[in-house]
Amino acid sequence: MSLDYVKFSNGFEKFMPKEYRDMVEHGPFGKKVTVSQMGSFKEALEEHPMCAGCAMTLFIRLAIIAFPNPEDTITVGTAGCGRLAISQAAIPFVYGNYGDQNGVASGLSRGLRLRFGDKPKDVVVMAGDGGTADIGFQQVLHSWFRKERFTTIMLDNEVYGNTGGQESGMTNRGAVLKMAPLGKKFEKMDMLQMAKVAGCAYVATVVPNNPRRVESVIKKAVLIAREVGSTYIQAYTSCNIEYAIPTDKVMEDAKTVENDRYQFTEYVSEEAKQYLAERYGYKEFLPKPAAAIPNKA
Amino acid sequence: MYLVANVNVEICASKSCKLCTQYCPEANTIQYSEEMGKEQGFKYGSAYIAVDRCKGCALCVWVCDSLAKNNAITMTMIDQLPKAALTDNITYGDKSTTAVLASPMVG
Ligand SMILES: Cc1ncc(C[n+]2csc(CCOP(=O)(O)OP(=O)(O)O)c2C)c(N)n1
Ligand code: SF4
Ligand code: SF4
Ligand code: SF4
Repeated sequence: MSLDYVKFSNGFEKFMPKEYRDMVEHGPFGKKVTVSQMGSFKEALEEHPMCAGCAMTLFIRLAIIAFPNPEDTITVGTAGCGRLAISQAAIPFVYGNYGDQNGVASGLSRGLRLRFGDKPKDVVVMAGDGGTADIGFQQVLHSWFRKERFTTIMLDNEVYGNTGGQESGMTNRGAVLKMAPLGKKFEKMDMLQMAKVAGCAYVATVVPNNPRRVESVIKKAVLIAREVGSTYIQAYTSCNIEYAIPTDKVMEDAKTVENDRYQFTEYVSEEAKQYLAERYGYKEFLPKPAAAIPNKA
Repeated sequence: MYLVANVNVEICASKSCKLCTQYCPEANTIQYSEEMGKEQGFKYGSAYIAVDRCKGCALCVWVCDSLAKNNAITMTMIDQLPKAALTDNITYGDKSTTAVLASPMVG
């Protein structure tokens, strides 16, 4: 895993499909691509079978563009819709049994550190709300309590989308779904609070109708996970199929949900702030000069 | 037949907003060409759609109409497009892409 894998094997160049050639010659590897340059470089993500207009797809697309070093990143996923796209990127993808993604990522991230020492290899888990808050719950929480250094991203569509609409712990109370016809009986789980209690160094919520913010939180989460500890991003990524959202209204829905229960929040531990400031030049986390502190008297 | 997004170059090339490129759920589908508008005598480049990748969701129409307020994208039956961009005919440059337009039906 390095820039070495993003190249043609000797003699094979002319046999490779156009998409592959574009990826090698004009892909994001070894450069710093940004969301504002979208539409002008070949993305690591390829075609995939996720539904038309799916906000989860948009989020995954943005996340992959935001990875600070895509050539040194491994994604980990599990059963659910997201893996259908995440697996179709020119970035190694590991897929295990449903719910074991944070266990797999713990081993992977430790193994990579043994093998590559200080050279950063980023591990990023992306899994559904069912995979993260229900089926994978204990592995997720344990990886956080153990301060495993990788990023966990919950693709929260508030339903089991891939299997036709069962309620998850992240579904809202009262929501009626195709396979939860009586309405959900208990509240949406507060995974953000749990992430903080478990000691995550970075916890953020985000919606895909703000692409630059998605880019910014992904970058911070991945960088912090290199050295400081576990990081968690909870993204609202609606399922237009199970919630019957017309596809041209998906961003309008995201805005409504953002105002209702997905306002942008960001927690950065003191250690993580210092790390981002010192190591990566994040000015907003530099200690404030004494003169700038308003005089309370 | 099915619908795909279609950018009105005349409108788009007078705006230079590039907003829709950040919102399409599909990768490498809404592309931007710095030349496309200028070649036709307009001020800026233009967004365009690789129609073989477009899934017809119309999310970009909402973005162009309601966020950008430019109303440059319409959904069009693929066989009604005289010429369109297809992945095979798109070339990436350093900061922009170019597309040779072709019949979306026969390539
Ligand atoms: C052990 C196991 N049980 C059940 C399934 C069937 N299954 C596949 S995806 C899925 C639900 C996924 O829901 P979620 O994690 O919320 O992701 P989404 O599809 O909504 O993105 C289930 C139950 C499975 N693959 N493995
Ligand atoms: S079922 Fe829902 S979450 Fe899954 S790909 Fe379709 S719209 Fe997206
Ligand atoms: S949002 Fe509309 S005006 Fe802006 S780049 Fe896209 S098509 Fe052009
Ligand atoms: S209709 Fe949907 S898939 Fe097609 S270009 Fe617009 S946003 Fe992308």
